[in-house]
Amino acid sequence: MLKMTHLSKVYRTEVVETYALRDFNIDVKEGEFVAVTGPSGSGKTTFLTIAGLLETFTGGEYHLDGVEVSNLNDNARSKIRNEKIGFIFQAFNLIPDLNVFDNIEVPLRYRGMKAAERKQRIMDSLERVGLASRAKHYPAELSGGQQQRVAIARALAGSPRLLLADEPTGNLDTQMARGVMELLEEIHRDGATIVMVTHDPELAARAQRNVHIIDGQVVDLAEEPRFHAHAAAGNRE
Amino acid sequence: MNFQVRPILTALRRHKAGTMLIALQIALTLAIVCNALFIIHQRLGNLSASSGVDEANVFVIANMWADMGQSTSQIDAQVRADLIALRQLPAVGDATPASGYPLRGGGWDNFVTMTPDQVKPTTDSAVYTGDEHFIDTLGLNLVAGRNFRADEVMVMGTQEAVTPPTVIVSKALADRLFPDGNALGKSFYAMGTTPSTIVGIVDPLHRQGVDQWSNGYAGQSLIWPMRADDSRGVYYIVRARPGQLADAMREVPKALYAQSRMRIIDPKDGIQDYATIRHKVYDSDRGMAILMGIISVVLLAITAAGIVGLTSFWVGQRRKQIGVRRALGARQRDILAYFLTENFLISASGAVLGIVLGFAFNLWTVTHFAMDRMSLVYVGLGVLMLVLLGQAATLAPALRASRVSPVEATRSV
Repeated sequence: MLKMTHLSKVYRTEVVETYALRDFNIDVKEGEFVAVTGPSGSGKTTFLTIAGLLETFTGGEYHLDGVEVSNLNDNARSKIRNEKIGFIFQAFNLIPDLNVFDNIEVPLRYRGMKAAERKQRIMDSLERVGLASRAKHYPAELSGGQQQRVAIARALAGSPRLLLADEPTGNLDTQMARGVMELLEEIHRDGATIVMVTHDPELAARAQRNVHIIDGQVVDLAEEPRFHAHAAAGNRE
Repeated sequence: MNFQVRPILTALRRHKAGTMLIALQIALTLAIVCNALFIIHQRLGNLSASSGVDEANVFVIANMWADMGQSTSQIDAQVRADLIALRQLPAVGDATPASGYPLRGGGWDNFVTMTPDQVKPTTDSAVYTGDEHFIDTLGLNLVAGRNFRADEVMVMGTQEAVTPPTVIVSKALADRLFPDGNALGKSFYAMGTTPSTIVGIVDPLHRQGVDQWSNGYAGQSLIWPMRADDSRGVYYIVRARPGQLADAMREVPKALYAQSRMRIIDPKDGIQDYATIRHKVYDSDRGMAILMGIISVVLLAITAAGIVGLTSFWVGQRRKQIGVRRALGARQRDILAYFLTENFLISASGAVLGIVLGFAFNLWTVTHFAMDRMSLVYVGLGVLMLVLLGQAATLAPALRASRVSPVEATRSV
């Protein structure tokens, strides 16, 4: 489903080159629920933005659902984002001027879907996250947990092949975070492929598989002595 | 391209103040600009209106008599002697006495009736007087009938009312009086008790006035075969031979003074070629057109600046939202279309109000200043201009918006 091989991402200024990802390799199979962990500045978010085709990479290969994406133009990348990827952001990223229904409709409109099908999908996805009665509410009228559920509904409405979640519970209290996590697990049980970036080891532990990133590279947890130190530090926090 | 009209309208409802301010600005600009365009077009149309005169070769002398106590016969003898002297000048092709001339800026005009006892006039006509040389001197185009004969030319003294039995009319007047057929040989009354019979038709012959009143009777003129020997003075209209206008304008005053010193020809305004006459008479039209043009340009510039400002502000404010839309699959052109559609919807709502205001403003000028009713064309032109202006003003900030990277969606601020 998602395969990166020897991938690198370099940020260049006039005087310095910074490797955000270096010789980065990952292979996520269809139907997997993978948690990507790592300390701040390790390259987790860069990995997620490249995986979601939000930005380009410098070298290596990236196959998404069997398609090599490095040479795609902006329109083609937009189309893949729209049709194959569902995003769940830490800050929910709902559009404050649109109500719940219209927010979920945004990606469906960009797909050129007919109104009747859009409505059906929106109501189905709202049912799934338990917010069908809130369709006409504006984001400001909802709690954080409800807003993240709407964001999940928006990601699900387009029936994506891959769900990318960036710290999905980062802005929620424990109770709301638990609810969102249970929803993600339920979605995974229904067959979705989920890649979730998190710094929360407890959350990561609920995924099928953990991938740890340090200094822009995937490290084998068993062979990486530094991981144990990080993990221990994480557990103490 | 994805236009998303309903969600844009929904979002605009949550930004009422900015939206309404810009829509109102567009409405006011449209109301003023379409009226200004109408006035400009009217005034520019006046500037290029044909007088019927061979303007390149014709000039006018305002001859005032120094002795205002002369009898009509004394004046007539002097006028005839002057004309003989003028026509003999080598640079002069022809000359005629006249009570006025086209584009003078105002002058004699009479109501016209079809019967002597008709109370409500049929129309109004500018009145020119001249001898049998009038048509040739002015270079008028005689399209039907004949010129005056010398024996038809009458004499009219100061304060006298003389109605010659023959008349030459402009085609505009002929068509107005006799729309169904040939006006030649037909008669009418021009504020006299005796009828004048049409012997010739010229086309065109502009009125003396260019004011709003005159425009209501555009091109309606009549020529009576008369020397109007007014004790105050007379106009001599002179046709120079081709290429000798300057020579003729120099020779004519000398020749007249050689005939008699008992006259005043103002060295500044007493002798004018048609370029000067036309320039002077349309001064206010030109001024009004320029003023309206400046007002329109300033208003359009202010409106454009308002649109650029508001759109730029909105683009800055929605940077994150644009990134989210891009992350959710919007192409660059979808973002461009979003802002252009948004501006179009605001412009369209402003235009609807502007059309109403524009017609209301026009109605006010019609009622208070006897202006003409504005045609729909100017409103359409104004709407088109403002919609295009809005789209052009939105383009730069919208292009900036379309270049916002989808990665903006993941930024925390």
